[in-house]
Amino acid sequence: MSSILRNSISFSVAPKVTSIKQALLAAVVIATASSAAVAQQDEFREDTIHQVAAGDWKGAKLADGQPDVQGHWSNTIGNHNDFTGTARSPSRVTNPADGHVPFQDWARVKAEDFAAHLENPIRPEYVEPFARCAPGGPSKSFMWHGYEIRQYPDYVVFLFDSGTRVIHLDGKPALPETVKLWNGDSRGHWEGNTLVVDVNNVNGKARFGRSGEFVSADADIKERYTFDNEGEYFLYEAVYTDPSVLTAPMTVSIASKRITTETETDGWNNITFPVSFADPQHAPDIEAWERTCVENNGNHGDVAVEE
Amino acid sequence: MTVTNIAARGIKARLNELASFARNTSHVLAPLFVVVTLALMANEAAAEIPRSAEGHPDFSGIWQTLGNADSGLEAQSARKDAPPHPGIVEGGTIPYKPAALAQRDKNFAARETADPAKQCFSLGTPRGVYYPEPFQIFQRDRDLTLLFQLSHRARTIHTNDSLHPEGPIGFWFGDSRAKWEGDTLVVDVVDFTADTWLDHSGNFHSEQLHVTERWSFLDENTLQYSATLEDPEVYTKPWNINVLLYRHREPNFQIIENTCYTLDYDQYYPVPESAQATPSS
Repeated sequence: MSSILRNSISFSVAPKVTSIKQALLAAVVIATASSAAVAQQDEFREDTIHQVAAGDWKGAKLADGQPDVQGHWSNTIGNHNDFTGTARSPSRVTNPADGHVPFQDWARVKAEDFAAHLENPIRPEYVEPFARCAPGGPSKSFMWHGYEIRQYPDYVVFLFDSGTRVIHLDGKPALPETVKLWNGDSRGHWEGNTLVVDVNNVNGKARFGRSGEFVSADADIKERYTFDNEGEYFLYEAVYTDPSVLTAPMTVSIASKRITTETETDGWNNITFPVSFADPQHAPDIEAWERTCVENNGNHGDVAVEE
Repeated sequence: MTVTNIAARGIKARLNELASFARNTSHVLAPLFVVVTLALMANEAAAEIPRSAEGHPDFSGIWQTLGNADSGLEAQSARKDAPPHPGIVEGGTIPYKPAALAQRDKNFAARETADPAKQCFSLGTPRGVYYPEPFQIFQRDRDLTLLFQLSHRARTIHTNDSLHPEGPIGFWFGDSRAKWEGDTLVVDVVDFTADTWLDHSGNFHSEQLHVTERWSFLDENTLQYSATLEDPEVYTKPWNINVLLYRHREPNFQIIENTCYTLDYDQYYPVPESAQATPSS
């Protein structure tokens, strides 16, 4: 692997884990990588969740009538280290108003137990699944690295650093309930400037933050992606209702900002590369490279050791 | 996905109309009109395949091979882990250098554990195309996105006149830049990792692998796929494979996330069901 790829991408994804011993090391490496990258995020760091009102779409449209929101995007606030807020970032839980997950008592105990063992994972279940390269669940990928949206008649496709999501706009029925998936199965439609998505079939195994928050496979998930007409921001809001884990509905709000050819590359929010063209007069463009995780991370950070 | 077929246009009926027009007109440009119309109709007859707004073949859809190429690219007798099949290598055998052939045989012996596909890693190119799970092509003017069910990973084929980035880069799928040659998409793929296999029989390549793919429609629901593999470290000369890809037309068929590398640890993340749920050990 070239030094370019190693420097730009390898540190940004989670280590390959083939044993419990590696898993324990992996959790520590992730913590280190997360804090090291914070200093590079200035262009995307904002103090508040940028609001976008639902309404008409006045921007460019695709041939099939969808708002054209294609391109590269990234989170503006915190990440999974501070899901419910810290001094440097507000909670991404915007309902309830106190910013905390409305857990049933037993579930709060489970989440706190996970958080308490995150950096001393004495059992396999304390290793964050994300650190093993599992997909992040429907919401988490929006507060992680930069990602790309591609659109097609009948589909909106998200290419994340931690998995792929296909939003079906074609009216297909949801998969049978017995099919369980890390990122769920998504059906959506456009209402003006808002992509409205129903997420089904989640496996209930992912965690929102490193503080351990979770919902179960029983969760009802309704997402709204509201895009501003300038094409600069969108607001992601997901309402989780889960009678098995929560006492009340919970809203997760995450703001995203567009990455352009002018955006400085930082190896974290903006992990795109300039495109080379044979024609030197060709307009500048950016592209993201192949996104893999579990495949690429042997000897991650020269700390984890392969068997 | 709605397939935007260009329907056959009743060519016979239009030929009759054209003949009638030619007989009944004395206009000086009539012969030219007939020639131009016939040329347009010939083009239409060749065009009964889905096409993009730009006029290129539209490969959008969910595709999969039949046959058992992934169990071994070369012809083989029945094995405990694979049925017999005739192979997809032109000329029958892969032209390995002697040392590489010995490595392939070692790989074959260790295939049950050493095959990267068994770990659900990205399949690479061309293996993703003939692996026995479906993949979906999403097509825009600037690129094609291939989403593979196994690993749920995406490969991008750029069709925007862009160049390979400066390598070497260890991509699992390689770096794909393509041009249309008529109705054939010709893809140049370089910058590979050496960590993928070509099949479950241990056939392999090095980082020097260079793949040239050719994608075209055989008919509206069948793709012809061929690939030339060059790798001076491993093979004595370039060699070719050919497969057909069939469109999935089952109602509501879709790609389903198959991140099967998580299955070994799924057990540690039980769905919390009750206050009495206890951590597994």
